[in-house]
Amino acid sequence: MIQLILFLLIGAGLLLVLFALSRRAVPAERSATTLLEARQALDALQGMLPPSGALGRFLAEGDLAYITSCTPPNIQQLFMRERRRLAIFWAGQVHHSVRALRSFHLGQARFYAKLSLATEMELALSFTALLLICRALQIALYLGGLSPARPMLGRTARLVAKLCVVSATSFAFLESARGRGPNRERPEGNSALTATN
Amino acid sequence: MDLQAQQAAVQAASQEMRRRTLASIPRPLDRLIYLASLRDYNSGLYYHDGLASRFSEEVVCEALAECHREAFGELFSLPLEELVEQVEAYVNSTHAGWADFIAAWRGLEPYRVAVPVDTERLSAEFFFSNLKVSLAILEHRLRASSERQPGAWPRRSPAQ
Repeated sequence: MIQLILFLLIGAGLLLVLFALSRRAVPAERSATTLLEARQALDALQGMLPPSGALGRFLAEGDLAYITSCTPPNIQQLFMRERRRLAIFWAGQVHHSVRALRSFHLGQARFYAKLSLATEMELALSFTALLLICRALQIALYLGGLSPARPMLGRTARLVAKLCVVSATSFAFLESARGRGPNRERPEGNSALTATN
Repeated sequence: MDLQAQQAAVQAASQEMRRRTLASIPRPLDRLIYLASLRDYNSGLYYHDGLASRFSEEVVCEALAECHREAFGELFSLPLEELVEQVEAYVNSTHAGWADFIAAWRGLEPYRVAVPVDTERLSAEFFFSNLKVSLAILEHRLRASSERQPGAWPRRSPAQ
């Protein structure tokens, strides 16, 4: 009788191990989509950065100089409103991409990358800081407009750039996900347009 | 057709498009609008009879999409001042009345369907925003010139 119970317990234990292993295998099967999403989020972040990305383009001093020197106040106001709207949109897009990248990191990255504790900490801090800063930036833009929020935009962009470097190094395997998506390669030297690849 | 051969064919088709057709359209805004007009609104696929006689439909579609993205990329990097000039030159080339054009572009926003289908949203929004400001600048210039020359304000269109 005791032997039977022992065998049953061993059997149940083996079943539990198999169940745990099968649950670990599920993410691997979904890996193509997950990797692609993470790659897209990383590309989107890189594509939003100055100088060639959208932020650099819509904060270009040349446009502002042209508007202030050649147009009446009502057009200057329209221009500033539009730029503010774009900056708020940019902060929202960064927030969205950082969240996507964080979800990938929390849910999947450990299956692919062996990250050191220091890198883990750095990534966790960057994710949290950026998510908070993006929301603060949006509020600052709503309340104060573009001009006072300009330095904050610059700081956010630098943080995003730093996160991109750490993420790109840590998740080098994401390179293999490039080109698997529905969107094909875009022209060279046009990083703002490659954001959704 | 394997992937490399397909890519080579796409390159050949897009080169031919640039050499034979796009070379005669110097402004990127005109090229963007022309290339958007080759795209079917329902399917998002591009068609070109001339190229279709030499290349497969798939190759033609990809080549035209590449040229379209290229034109959008050029417009995206243009300073606002140059975009205003592009829009101004485009209006003159269409022979539409200035007021009609501004009213139609402001009311119907036809430029929204002129961007390549896979354009990142922020880039598209930036382009639309710049066009909006450009239209305001052109309208201001038009008003200023009509104040200097009363009666120069062209007729209004039904879109107004």
